[in-house]
Amino acid sequence: MHISDGVLPTSVAVGSFAASALLLAWSARRTRSEELPKVAVVSAAFFVASLIQVPFGPTSVHLLIPGLAGALLGSSAFLAIALGLLLQSFLFQFGGLTALGANALMMGLPALLCGLLFQTFKGKTRQRKMWVGGLAGGLGTALAALMLAALLASGGEDFLGVAKIALLAHIPVTLVEALVSAMTIGFLARVKPELLEPAYLKHPPVHHD
Amino acid sequence: MRWLQKLLPAMLLALWLLSAPAPARAVEQAAAEPAVTSVAADPQMAEELRRIHREIAALRADLAQPGIKEVFSGLGYILGLFGVAAFVAARRKGP
Repeated sequence: MHISDGVLPTSVAVGSFAASALLLAWSARRTRSEELPKVAVVSAAFFVASLIQVPFGPTSVHLLIPGLAGALLGSSAFLAIALGLLLQSFLFQFGGLTALGANALMMGLPALLCGLLFQTFKGKTRQRKMWVGGLAGGLGTALAALMLAALLASGGEDFLGVAKIALLAHIPVTLVEALVSAMTIGFLARVKPELLEPAYLKHPPVHHD
Repeated sequence: MRWLQKLLPAMLLALWLLSAPAPARAVEQAAAEPAVTSVAADPQMAEELRRIHREIAALRADLAQPGIKEVFSGLGYILGLFGVAAFVAARRKGP
């Protein structure tokens, strides 16, 4: 699920570039230096996840993990996703360079939302973290599909039609992602629970320049 | 080398024999010419050609897939960029 060059009208492409640049700056500002290794690892996982193909009928769709990235990184997720998409666009030719802003919004906004959702409802027990994590993972993909439909609708396509196709094509991915997210978060909750507590929630942000 | 020298007359003879009926062969080839062009219209040949075209397209699609090289260069970029970011952040903070 990447938007290619020349699909979006220029105004939408430029607008989404501006919006994602703003979000990227905010996300980078919120990222604390102690969190950099974690952000790097999640970026790398996001970058590679798109190579895991899930066969679906005549075509195949790939893993996206915006929900998992959001749940693990919180506000830094946008930074990780934007970097991952940039490198995917350069190295894999997934998605056009001119549509990079739109692609970043399409993955980044669901990630931020799912991160917020996960941090709000994760609770204390491991069981609950797993369930909420799986939910966030599945929701991230579904929301990304809806964003895709909304962006394509701006190019003159019928929103409901595209949304239906995008959601239908991503049903298997949504299920797989929910499973993968639940397993990952359950595993992390057991072996390294502090990874699920973003630094910005533990201490108030300190500005040091 | 010795046997090659012995073989030389025989080779010359063979060459002469082969070149002698040249006019006759040329006529044969000219007669075969229309047959060669009709092979392209032959349904079996056309099917074969289509199959080869399909294979070329599949190969091209395979080549467009990212390989292990791209994956590792991307991972290297990510780790490198975050390494630089961590370095800058640590310098700014001071020892």
